Amino acid sequence: MPLTLEAKNKSPRRSVRSGRKGLTGFLFLLPFLVLFVVVFLIPIIVSIRSALFAQVASGGGLYGGGELVDQFVGLDNLVAAATNGAFWKGMGRVALFGLVQIPLMIGSGLFLALLLDSFIVRRVAFFRLAFFLPYAVPGVIAAMMWAYLYTPQLSPFLEYLPDGTNFMAPNVIILSMANMTTWTFTGYNMLIFLAALQAIPRELYEAAAMDGATGFQVATRIKIPLMRGAALLAILLSIIGTVQLFNEPVIMQSVNQWMGNDYTPMMLAYNSLMGQVTPSGSGPASAISLLMAIIAGALAAIYAFAQRQKGE
Amino acid sequence: MGRFAQSKMAMACAVFGSGALLLTGCGAGDGSDGDAVTIDYLHRLPDGEGMTPVADIVAKWNADHPDIQVEATKFDGDASELALKLETDVNAGTGPCLAQVGYGEVPDLYVKGLLQDVRSEADRYKDNYSAGAYSLMNVGNTVVGLPQDTGPLVYYYNETAFEQLGVEVPTTMDELSEIAATAAAQEQYAAAFTPDEAQYWLSGQAAAAGDNWFTPNGEEWIVDTGGAGTQVVASFWQELIDDDEVLVQDRWGDGFTQALTDGSLIGHVGAAWEAGFLLDPLDGTDAEGQWRVAQLPAFGETGMTGPDGGSGVAVMKDCEYTEEAMAFNDWFNTQVDDLATQGLVVAATGAPETPEKMTRQFGGQDVFEEMNIANAALSPDFVYVPGFASLSAMNSTAAEAGDGSVPVSDIFDTARSTSVEALDNLGIAVADS
Repeated sequence: MPLTLEAKNKSPRRSVRSGRKGLTGFLFLLPFLVLFVVVFLIPIIVSIRSALFAQVASGGGLYGGGELVDQFVGLDNLVAAATNGAFWKGMGRVALFGLVQIPLMIGSGLFLALLLDSFIVRRVAFFRLAFFLPYAVPGVIAAMMWAYLYTPQLSPFLEYLPDGTNFMAPNVIILSMANMTTWTFTGYNMLIFLAALQAIPRELYEAAAMDGATGFQVATRIKIPLMRGAALLAILLSIIGTVQLFNEPVIMQSVNQWMGNDYTPMMLAYNSLMGQVTPSGSGPASAISLLMAIIAGALAAIYAFAQRQKGE
Repeated sequence: MGRFAQSKMAMACAVFGSGALLLTGCGAGDGSDGDAVTIDYLHRLPDGEGMTPVADIVAKWNADHPDIQVEATKFDGDASELALKLETDVNAGTGPCLAQVGYGEVPDLYVKGLLQDVRSEADRYKDNYSAGAYSLMNVGNTVVGLPQDTGPLVYYYNETAFEQLGVEVPTTMDELSEIAATAAAQEQYAAAFTPDEAQYWLSGQAAAAGDNWFTPNGEEWIVDTGGAGTQVVASFWQELIDDDEVLVQDRWGDGFTQALTDGSLIGHVGAAWEAGFLLDPLDGTDAEGQWRVAQLPAFGETGMTGPDGGSGVAVMKDCEYTEEAMAFNDWFNTQVDDLATQGLVVAATGAPETPEKMTRQFGGQDVFEEMNIANAALSPDFVYVPGFASLSAMNSTAAEAGDGSVPVSDIFDTARSTSVEALDNLGIAVADS
């Protein structure tokens, strides 16, 4: 609507026009701004605020007087989360998970992207979609599907593997989950790399060919170095995703009770909110989430910084 | 609007009103202003195939009570998610009037200030329910609603397999131990140890053995999960696990179902509500109709069984029409035959008719008669504490106990430390022990 107004009124009165222009710009910005405030800023502020409060019984007695009050506790919740052994054990698990899974997934994503971008493969569109498809399967459904494949009594292929193979054994389950995540996200990362490859000027390949470079040399000397930015993005997203690991362990936990309610930090946060883990309530749960955000942010910053140092 | 409601009601009376209905529904309702009150009721009953849907039961009430219209909504998520939804909704002022709550959740929801004291209303209906179940809707001296179904522990067994083994139905846990040994020699299991149910399942057994884990002592709680009864429970399962005479599988895992269908599982200590679906995997197989239900083998001289789950319908904090809500609450929870089709062991007195499906699956046994006996034998003293939900930590310890890496008694240590911690964190006093 403002656009048509603007188009009709091509009057020379500059001051009015620029004022109107400012308003038009603001109106264009408005939908974004509203959504940004509602779905981004407000939740963050609310969770920071709620991390500063604990839910305690007010009235004393056996049932606390039947009223729970929000008590301002300052940084107590954060301190409790940071000194919670279960939290750091969970962090250790996701760290181990990330160390194995992220290089594997990024490596395969990169390999697939290079393969599709070379002239080795025909029907690129089909393969691009096929590799990406696992990402289109909802995470929980995918996790359930894998749980089915891993469950000893149900697995259709376990009987063909050596005796004693157990995908759900305590020392194996992290790898089993890494496999699930890799399956889901390799195609997604491949797309990031493919997009980066599209942006590389074709003239570079021509020049390389004239210099006698082989396809392999083009890939390693030109394509990969020019995808550094994309790789950084993919790895940062993966680090953040790994810290928040949730779907896979929740589904696995439902069939492996020994994993407990606090296998990963995200499960700890969720189950604190659900009252399955004590201290419970929105305060402790928000504090755990905040701590996770801080850690994920710090890891991502450290990685980005290290990358830049190496580049210079 | 008032007039519209009135005319609608008159029409409803004309349509549905006949004889007694006219007197109760329309006579009483046409009082002061004639506006119908609306009661929101949030439940998580299964509403499965072959069951009388909650909506149909409620429709009967609505037809008879034009002045008290009930809107029932089914909550499809997890039970623990319903508790969180209630907390968020009530705090936002949009909570329902009535909601289904698990007995173990009642103290927690009360501490959170989500439930109303309806003692004066509830007292009128008290006699309609088994005493043990009614007490589970009590929080100290406060009554927060009416009980709906109970989960007394019972013993399910395959009668045909028992006959083949030449063993009788166990009446004590010692007998069950012997049967488990006999069965194990034939690669069969007379019981299953189910870590994913440990929280309610084992606390229920401790109650059956005569223990109370949580005892009020003035203004503070005494937490004791190491009593004589609990020790009996621990050593019973410990022995079976040590001797490999028990199926160790999660109750909701596929291993359990597989053991059931391949015939290796021939006995199971479980909650009464499991009767509604436990044997479904056997439908159409040779084993259909071979299973029976019996009382929980005694853990001692107590003559009791313990609560394993079950729930009631509580009145939420902001409910305005307490009297009307409780009238519906009592009516609904005494529709024993309809509720029984939902697989519930109803808390209301009066044995419901055993649904056709159960009769078929249990070889013609009057399942609900057996459940009624169990219902009456429920430990009346076992209470839950605020924060009981966090005792799900027992489940992961139970999983470790199941594979032999820690002793079974560790599960009860977890129960103690977790509940003390939970109470502490809620700011509720716990006696030193």
